[in-house]
Amino acid sequence: MSSSTTPIMSDSTTAVPATPRRRLSLRRGVLALSQYTGFAPAMVLFGLFFAAPMALIVAYSFWTQDGYEVVANWTFANYRQVFSTPVYVNTFLVTLWMTAAATVLTLAVAFPFSYWLARYVSRRWRRPLLFLVILPFWVSYLLRVTAWTIILGNNGALSRLLGVVGLSTPSWLLYDRPAVIFVLVYLYFPFAALTLFAALERFDWRQLNAAMDLGATQIQAVRRVMLPQIKPGITTAVIFVFIPILGEYLTPELVGGTRGVMIGNLVDNFFQEAQYAVGAAIAILIAAVVIILLVIFRRSLEVGEMYGR
Amino acid sequence: MTNNSMITRRDALRAGALGLGALSLAACGSTSSSSSSGTAAANTVAKTTTPVTLNMLTWNDHYDPQSQFPAIKKETGITVDVTLGSDDAGMFVKSKQSGQFDIVSADALWVPYYFQQGLTEPFDIDAIPVSQQLYSVSRDFSIWQNSAGYLGYPRAWSALRIYYNPKFVSPAPTSWEVLLDPKYHGKFVRENQPTDIVAEAGLATGAKDPYNMTPAELSRATEFLKAAKPAFLTLVSQNTGVVQALTNESAWFTSENLGTDFRVKQAGGPLIKAAVPKEGVVGWLDAEMKMKTANADRFSQFINAWGQAEFIPPLFKEFREAWFNEKAYKMLVNQGQGEFADALLYNQPEQALKAHLKGPQKDPNAYVTAFNSVFGA
Repeated sequence: MSSSTTPIMSDSTTAVPATPRRRLSLRRGVLALSQYTGFAPAMVLFGLFFAAPMALIVAYSFWTQDGYEVVANWTFANYRQVFSTPVYVNTFLVTLWMTAAATVLTLAVAFPFSYWLARYVSRRWRRPLLFLVILPFWVSYLLRVTAWTIILGNNGALSRLLGVVGLSTPSWLLYDRPAVIFVLVYLYFPFAALTLFAALERFDWRQLNAAMDLGATQIQAVRRVMLPQIKPGITTAVIFVFIPILGEYLTPELVGGTRGVMIGNLVDNFFQEAQYAVGAAIAILIAAVVIILLVIFRRSLEVGEMYGR
Repeated sequence: MTNNSMITRRDALRAGALGLGALSLAACGSTSSSSSSGTAAANTVAKTTTPVTLNMLTWNDHYDPQSQFPAIKKETGITVDVTLGSDDAGMFVKSKQSGQFDIVSADALWVPYYFQQGLTEPFDIDAIPVSQQLYSVSRDFSIWQNSAGYLGYPRAWSALRIYYNPKFVSPAPTSWEVLLDPKYHGKFVRENQPTDIVAEAGLATGAKDPYNMTPAELSRATEFLKAAKPAFLTLVSQNTGVVQALTNESAWFTSENLGTDFRVKQAGGPLIKAAVPKEGVVGWLDAEMKMKTANADRFSQFINAWGQAEFIPPLFKEFREAWFNEKAYKMLVNQGQGEFADALLYNQPEQALKAHLKGPQKDPNAYVTAFNSVFGA
C-alpha cells in the first residue's frame, strides 16, 4: 500500500513517512506544548509537595485503621466516627468560632494601624515602622508563643502589672480560650497589617475629601468610598489570617491549657498514637472548610486584584 | 524514654556542651572500654572493623553524638545514622513501614510486640561482654525473654509517681482520687501523653491492665477523667514544661518520672515530694532491639561499644534517668551524683517491673477517642 493511497486516519497507526501537512500539524503541536514548558518546574513542585501528599492524606482518610496500621481497604468509617462523636463536631465548631473571633480582632487591630500608617505617616517613617511590624518574624514562632506563657503566667509581667494597680489576675489570662485568641491576634497581626497597608497605600485619599465635600460623614465616606476600593485587600487579609489559624495546634497547646483546645490538637493526639486514618479524616474536613471559604471569597476577589491589577 | 519531643535548639546547645565534656571522658575511658570489650568479646562479638552504617531509630536520651559515636566508629567501623522518634506507636509504624532501621528503641511491652510482628531477632545477651556491666536482674526480665533469647538490650527505666508541693497539697496524696478534690482545680500539670493519661485513669478506676482495658473499664476511666478535668491546668509537650509549672508554683502537683523533685529543686523551685498512689502507677523500661536487616550481624558489636559505662555519666547528667548499667552507677557515685541517682532508684532496678508497664493497645483508637472526648472542646 503506497503512502499516497493511505487514508489520513490510518496514518497514526502505521509507520509511514510523514506528509508535509502532518509535519506542519506536528510542529504546531510541539509549539503549543512548548508554551507550557515554563510551567514544568511549578508543575513538578506542585505535584511533589502538594498534590501527592494531599492525595495520600485523602486516601488515608478513606482507608481502614487496623491497630497501629493503615490498611488500604476503602471505608467511610473514619468520617462516620468523626461525625458520630459529639466532641469532634463541638471542637470543630468551637475552632471555627475561635478562628473567626481571632480573624476579626486581628483585622480590627490591623486596620487602624494600617490606615494611620498609609494616611498620616510620612514616607520617611513608614519604612522603619513597617520594619518593626515584621521584626517578630526574626524570632522563631515557638519562642514567641513561649514568651507569652511567661508574660501571661502567674508571676508574669502582666500579672505583676495588674497587681501594682490593685487588680487580681483573671483566671483566663493564661490556659484558656481568651489567651489563645489574644496570642493568635499577636501572631497574625503582621500578615493583616502588611496586606491592608498595601491596599490602603494605593487608595486616593482625595476621594474621601470629595465625598465629605458632597455631604458624607467621615464614617459614610469610609464605608461607601474607601472600603469598596480596598475590599480585595481586606479579603486577602482575611484569607492570610483565617486559613492558617484554622489549622493551629501549637498556640492552643502552649497557652490554651485544657480549656483552649482547637481541632488541630485532637488531630495531633491521633497522630501521636499513630491513628493516622481518623486524623487524616479530620484534616480533610479542615481542608474542606478552607476550600469552601476560598470559593466564597473568590466571588469578591479576582486573582488580578490581589496583585493590584 | 520520656523524651517525646524533638531536639530543640536548646537541646542542641546542651548536647554540644555535653559532647565536649564527654569527649574528654571518652578519651580517658577509651583504654578500659577497648580492653573490656575487646578481650572478653573475642569469641562472641564480631571483631571486624569493616565500615558499615547502622540506621538507628531512637530517642535523643539514648546516645551522645559528640563522643559516643566517634568512639564506636573508631573501635568497630560502625557509623550510626540516627533518626529521632517521638513515641512508641509512631516508631513502630515507621520501622515497620520503612524496614530500613537496624536498631530500634522501644518501651517495655512494645519490645515483645515487635517480635510478635516479625520485626526483630532475639539474641544471646550474655554473649555480649558489656552486658556484664548490667544489673543481673535486667538480664533476666521475663517480658523480654523467649526460648530463642533476649528481645532487647536493657537501657533505662522509670515509673511515674505523683509529685506534689507540700505547701499547697496537704495531706499527701495517697490515691489518684486527689485529682477529684475541688481545692486542687487548675493545679495539676501533666505531659500530654494521651495513652498514659487514660491508663492512669484506668488505674484510678480499678482496671487490671491499664494499657489494654475492656470497653467497660475504658468507659469508667473516661468518666473519671471527665470528673478530674477541672484539676488539669494544662497539658505540656515536654517534661521541662512540668518542671517550669511546679517551679513557678502555677501548678501544685503532677504525675511524672522519677527525679522530678530533684529537677524542680535544680530549677530553683520549691520543695517537691513524691507519693505513690495506692492504685498503682505506670512506668516504662526501654531497650535497643535487633531488627531483621542485612546488618543484624553487627548488632552485638554495636551494643558492646555503645553500652559501655563510660558513656553513661554525661547522659545521666543531661537526662537524669536510671540506666540498667551497674558499673555506671558506681562511676556516678564516685562523681558525686549518688544522691540524684538514688532519688531515681537507679540502684533498685528490680523496682522497674513493679509499675504497670507501657505497651501497645489492642484498640488504640478507643484510647485516643476516650482522651479526646475528655480534653476536646
